[in-house]
Amino acid sequence: MMIKLPAASPALTRWLLIAAALLVAAAIVLPLWGMTLVSTQYPEGLRMVVYANRIIGDINEINALNRFIGMHPITDDFFSELRWLPLLFGASAALCLAAAVVNRFWATLVPLAAMSGIAVYGLVSMRQRLWQFGHELDPTAPMDLPPFTPPMLGGHQIAQFASYSYFTWGTVFPLIAAAFVALAAWLQRPTRSLRAVPARAASAFAA
Amino acid sequence: MHRTKMAWLALGSAAILAGCERTPQVPGEQTMSTGDVQSAALATYVKPGNLDDYYLFYSGGHSGQVFIAGVPSMRHIATIPVFAPYPGTGYGFDEETRKMMGEFTWGDVHHPALSKTNGDYDGRWLFVNDNANNRIARIDLRDLKTKQILGPIPNTMGNHGSSMVTNNSEYALVATRFSVPIGEKYAPLDQYATKYKGAVTGIKIDPTTGQMSVGWQIMTPPFNWDLGATGKGPSADWAFWTSYNSERATGRLEATASQKDRDYVAIVNWKAAEAAMKAGKTFTSEGMQIIDPAKVPGVMYLLPCGKSPHGVDVDPSGQYVICSGKLQPTSTVFSFANILKSIEEKDFEQNTEDGIPILEYDDAVLMEVPVGLGPLHTQFDGKGYAYTSLYVESAIAKWKLPPYEEGVDPKSLVVDKMPVQFNVGHLVTSHGDTEKPRGDYLVSLNKMSKGRHLNVGPSIPESSQLLDINGQTMVMTYESYTEPEPHFAQLVHRDVLKPIEFYPKDESKNPNAIWTPAGAKVMRNAARRTVEGKVYAVRSYFEPGRIEVQEGDTVILHITNAEQQRDEIHGFGLVAHNLNAVIDPGETKTVRFVARTAGVFPYYCTNFCSALHQEMQGYLEVVPKGRPLLAYNAKGEMTWERREAPPVAAENGAHGTGRGH
Repeated sequence: MMIKLPAASPALTRWLLIAAALLVAAAIVLPLWGMTLVSTQYPEGLRMVVYANRIIGDINEINALNRFIGMHPITDDFFSELRWLPLLFGASAALCLAAAVVNRFWATLVPLAAMSGIAVYGLVSMRQRLWQFGHELDPTAPMDLPPFTPPMLGGHQIAQFASYSYFTWGTVFPLIAAAFVALAAWLQRPTRSLRAVPARAASAFAA
Repeated sequence: MHRTKMAWLALGSAAILAGCERTPQVPGEQTMSTGDVQSAALATYVKPGNLDDYYLFYSGGHSGQVFIAGVPSMRHIATIPVFAPYPGTGYGFDEETRKMMGEFTWGDVHHPALSKTNGDYDGRWLFVNDNANNRIARIDLRDLKTKQILGPIPNTMGNHGSSMVTNNSEYALVATRFSVPIGEKYAPLDQYATKYKGAVTGIKIDPTTGQMSVGWQIMTPPFNWDLGATGKGPSADWAFWTSYNSERATGRLEATASQKDRDYVAIVNWKAAEAAMKAGKTFTSEGMQIIDPAKVPGVMYLLPCGKSPHGVDVDPSGQYVICSGKLQPTSTVFSFANILKSIEEKDFEQNTEDGIPILEYDDAVLMEVPVGLGPLHTQFDGKGYAYTSLYVESAIAKWKLPPYEEGVDPKSLVVDKMPVQFNVGHLVTSHGDTEKPRGDYLVSLNKMSKGRHLNVGPSIPESSQLLDINGQTMVMTYESYTEPEPHFAQLVHRDVLKPIEFYPKDESKNPNAIWTPAGAKVMRNAARRTVEGKVYAVRSYFEPGRIEVQEGDTVILHITNAEQQRDEIHGFGLVAHNLNAVIDPGETKTVRFVARTAGVFPYYCTNFCSALHQEMQGYLEVVPKGRPLLAYNAKGEMTWERREAPPVAAENGAHGTGRGH
């Protein structure tokens, strides 16, 4: 089957970029990632939900328990990411809007690059934070626990707790936004120099 | 536009895959099928009129009392007041109990211990400690009343590792939880490591009367002594205590006392301590003869055990000492034979703790059993298994006792685990700390109920759960809510106890007891401004029904409940005087108060006794100063119009044999 590529329409790319701007802006107020912990004592679960600018949930209780194993308390102030993420999301949204106004290939590459950068920054710093919290345990803590890294996604068992980590809308929306921006850039691609490319891509799709 | 639709689809599924929140399953959670529920109900239901199989004596913690429940129904039956007033039985209002309680009106009861003969409960006494005011009390199981409170015990601060009883009730244990300066009254806290000391003590129990006195006392380094245990069989002459804070730290102990990987179990040869006391190998502190174990070899040894151990327990055979480090996930089994061998061969570590020899861990240890997180206390079933409470994991682990095969996988020794709700502290099995455990019931005394009951606001009870341990796997059958705050308990078969139903008249030795209304008599000593009376109480009147005193008089009343019939309990409540004596059938109680306020104050029966209970009342007439008393004759004897001959009760119940033994 042959997929027909739509002709680059200025209206379509503009709407894609506006939608991307809205989606990434929404991430400023939506939860990004969460972890739920259960044990016999907490059958209803203890929850931690990370937003772009704050961490909410049963943080006091989680910190009270973590103190026994010498884990650093989870506080908003501890994470520089929580200061930067809203600004980065806001800037990305602004860049998307600017790209929508200009509506040219080169202008669309700017938010695309920015958003890819933020995604890499976000994932790397998260991975590092999870490692840090499970490894940099106070050696004078009452209980010694072998160092561990809570997973970014999925289930885990640590001491008496079963945990489940998940990404949620604040992460998914910017990813969709990035896909929209990428699609817009694709549609705006300079056709003359890359004339042969779409045909090759299309045949690859068809295979 | 086809491609855009596809992109939407791909993004949509990505979003769903990224996942939303999911609550994982509770680790180890057990669910009950309808069949399980039905058999649990049948196993715990005691139909109206039937009796439970076991007495559960559980400590009331900082309520200062001991509670009795029946097992398997888990119904609370009675409260035995010990360290705190209890108007329900008039405890702490009459002279005898007020004197026994002394200046304190509360205590912190942790570890009840039944008296034993030949290593099993003999149904004579129950001993309970007071962690707060350094005391120990004895409850007589003939009438289930507190008979003696000993203490505050010198050189003891926070009597926690108490009141475990030796195999033939020679001694009950006492230990300091908090070290203080010993030998001098005061030393600054900065000198904790050197000037502060602990002490462990054996309370001598008179074999006939149960009367307690301090038998021996041993000074120790300033560790925090935690739980105690007494030996059995080959270890019967030995006592054991766990310690924490062998770091000798002060400040925030949760961290400062948790730094070393090992703390110690103290191993005390109480026969040797007894001999050292007799031989006078002691020094004096706070008026007590106290043994310095560095100077008296053979009295005390230290055995390293896992980080901050809490419980120490000796298996029914007396061959194995089990110690659980609450901050490490294992219960350590030590061989008592190996311990003895090391002691005999003087195979000690090079260091000592203030001159006390330290045994080599590797010589004594038999197995580290990976029971789970936060292991605290261990009980036994007499069928080769041990049961350890796991506080952090909130579960009970059942595991196999030695002998072990060579090279056995320690993990395979844990044969069953039961989650409990929530955070079990102590656990108790039927006759679980004796040489002859019964192996049928286990009660998990949980520290948290976290609202598993009807919401009663923020102040909530604890929860205790009943487990059937007859089979290979444990079965949870019942849950009850226990008042603050059960620590340890004793679970004893009902056949062991033979309590009386009332106090037989013939056994009364109280010189102020009267058995007929004619015996009632009130005398006033004008010079000493005291009024002393013998009051007769029976269904449904007091004799005398009026008592006249002068404002400011000290009034002493001896009230006899002349009934000889079970449950014919009478109260003597005096309005507006903070006074309620409750007198059991055949009992005489003495109350003393000052009639400070002129006026007329009713007294009445507080414990419902008969159809005419409301009529059972009288008047205390407090004549204002300066006004003459009218009821007294020249000899100072009060006269009043006496009622006619006694109609019923005293004679009526006389065929009751008293069921004493």
